[in-house]
Amino acid sequence: MIDPTLAVPLADRLLAMADDELILAHRNSEWAGHGPILEEDIAFANIALDEMGHAAIWYGLRGDITGEDTDRLVFFRNAGQYRNVQMVELPHGDWAFSMLRQYLFDAAESIWLGQLAASGYEPLAQAAAKIATEERYHLRHTSLWLRRLGLGTAESHARLQTALDALWPYARQLFVPLPGDAALVAAGILPDPAALAHEWHGRARPYLTECGLILPDETPPRRDIPRTEHTEHLMELLAVMQSVARLDPAAEW
Amino acid sequence: MADEAYKGQVAAFEARIARGEKIEPGDWMPDAYRKQLIRMISQHAHSEVVGMLPEGVWITRAPNLRRKMVLLAKVQDEAGHGQYLYHAAETLGVGRDEMIAALLDGRAKYASVFNYPTLGWADVAAIGWLVDGAAIMNQTMLAHCSYGPYSRAMVRICAEEGFHKKQGQEMIIRYAAGTATQRAMAQEAIDRWWWPALMMFGPHDSASSNTPQLVRWGIKTKTNDQLRQEFIDDMVPALQTLGLSVPDPEMRYDAATGHWAGREIDWDEFWRVIQGDGPMNASRLDARRQAHEDGRWVREAAAAYGEKQPGSGSAGEQGRKESLLPPCAPAPLHPSESTT
Amino acid sequence: MNDQWPRYEVFKQERDGGPFRNVGSVHAPDAEMALLNARDVFARRPACRCLWVVPAAAIVATPIVVNAAGDAEPADASGPLEPYAVCGKSSERQAMTYVDYLGRVEARSAAEALRAAPALGAARIWWVFPERVISRSDPEDAPGLEAATGKLFRMSNQYHTVVTMQKIRRGDEGEE
Repeated sequence: MIDPTLAVPLADRLLAMADDELILAHRNSEWAGHGPILEEDIAFANIALDEMGHAAIWYGLRGDITGEDTDRLVFFRNAGQYRNVQMVELPHGDWAFSMLRQYLFDAAESIWLGQLAASGYEPLAQAAAKIATEERYHLRHTSLWLRRLGLGTAESHARLQTALDALWPYARQLFVPLPGDAALVAAGILPDPAALAHEWHGRARPYLTECGLILPDETPPRRDIPRTEHTEHLMELLAVMQSVARLDPAAEW
Repeated sequence: MADEAYKGQVAAFEARIARGEKIEPGDWMPDAYRKQLIRMISQHAHSEVVGMLPEGVWITRAPNLRRKMVLLAKVQDEAGHGQYLYHAAETLGVGRDEMIAALLDGRAKYASVFNYPTLGWADVAAIGWLVDGAAIMNQTMLAHCSYGPYSRAMVRICAEEGFHKKQGQEMIIRYAAGTATQRAMAQEAIDRWWWPALMMFGPHDSASSNTPQLVRWGIKTKTNDQLRQEFIDDMVPALQTLGLSVPDPEMRYDAATGHWAGREIDWDEFWRVIQGDGPMNASRLDARRQAHEDGRWVREAAAAYGEKQPGSGSAGEQGRKESLLPPCAPAPLHPSESTT
Repeated sequence: MNDQWPRYEVFKQERDGGPFRNVGSVHAPDAEMALLNARDVFARRPACRCLWVVPAAAIVATPIVVNAAGDAEPADASGPLEPYAVCGKSSERQAMTYVDYLGRVEARSAAEALRAAPALGAARIWWVFPERVISRSDPEDAPGLEAATGKLFRMSNQYHTVVTMQKIRRGDEGEE
């Protein structure tokens, strides 16, 4: 099915996509029972549930190539083996932080999925089309919240600006290609992550400005941070997430 | 004279219930009916919301991806059920903000079962099978309640609740036949949740003063002890089939009655926990207060934005008294409106 | 605005061409959020194709509010003539939903609309509100609303506990 020289790059890319969804979903699920109002407990849980489902799909597609079991990948890899972007492993912070992080991620995701639906690798194209339906709602939900927080009260505005200042430097990692991506792009399987950055900026910047926010100065960093590097937050997250599974690695739960 | 008229109204009201008609918002109802229902429904709503907490902490720890999703979906449902129930209570003229204030002030009660801690993953399984199992029995009965909004909320909840119990039961079945760690975890969880689950059915019938009136007004169709016995008769043999026991050395089958029976519930503990002295009472309310306080600036921001939008005033048809859904009794009916 | 935000009654259409039924309400700061949250609260199951939200404060329901003498307030004839949505509940059977949307009448006030309502059928409970206060989900959202019911693990038939227990009682090996 897949050209053997592309199997490893594709498996790597699928792992990165799956890890992004899983870790973000995990952070979002921490809000259940602690949201600002009942309707948001329900809505944000839905987003987290969708994301867990998306993670399962990407892990599944990787398993089709490598034969690996999804739960083994999720519960028995260490932090150094995870391939998510740092932005999603950060603690969930306040509502402004979670909404802004979600928006930056969803805005990138919607562009990414839109192009992925034209992938030359059929399973990827189909999955992307299906996932895009749910992503529309995620982006709508966080877009609506950004307006209300950015333009609501002085306090909500200040908190949202603080969140943007903190998160903006992390967003660029979303568009840093993996080592194997170039081959996948050349083969028409993957959109070029770096090219998507331009479209993302084109959409996110005006919208954030519309929401009353000031975009932080863009000082280019000294280097691109690879997905192999993580903060200590991921180690703490995994210690909790994997605690029961690791009690008895032979058990089926 | 007024007293005769009132008795006539009560008789007509009870006749409607006896005919199986639903009492809807705006219909005449005795004040005691309205008050009982506000108390019951809001308590039920609070229970769902507080109930998100004991299991919610395990979402981040679920041992496989499917269990993680199932648990999150269950906890999400509980929020939804609280939402439907607050709606039903609001039709009786009490605002959700008032009800929440009563919960956070410690004035309102909620199901005591959630004042116990979840100490292991298998507690999630035990809660699903035992606690949700018990709740389903109660809810199935309440779906026939005479008050329309409560009945409808319960029908919707019953339809959604099915998987809550089954996912718990599926786990207990699996762990009972699983590794030594899992078997021990499952038995320990059953040991800790058995008595709190039995307490969910409330005090003995002899100690339950509300019941006769609630039965006459179509709010309750089975007594506490009846439901509790049904639960025990169902659970004990099922657990034994799996090689698990209940933490009651006196539990045995009585061939003469056809029922399972064991020792008395510790009623001291029962009343202590209801009065607020359970292991997790303070913690549960603290968590809810924290969420409420932390969320205040968020709710205010959305409200401020909403009020700034053009046309936001017209939605409420401001100034027109007739635009509000009518409060319930004792507003007199229009002469041409009958009670049927 | 109240701390918990105002209420919006939610109407749900399950299938194309089906009736719009009142399923409950959501608290929301505005109609846009109400529509979005209504999906998460009410479209998880069963099926959903289209949603409406209506500010609860704009709904007038029977019985008609009366004055101290027991007379209904005279129908206000000074308002603009506009379409009023008419909803009714006619059955006493157990259900999850309350009133159904039955159609519209032209009226100058809610009271006038309530008087005209019986032309659309028989009901014990009536709701009327100006159609202009309805916020509707975008027809383009229909696939998304239908997909909201896609998570099979919410269905109790996905858990084979009854069959499994029977097998264990019969002494079969293993659990599945």
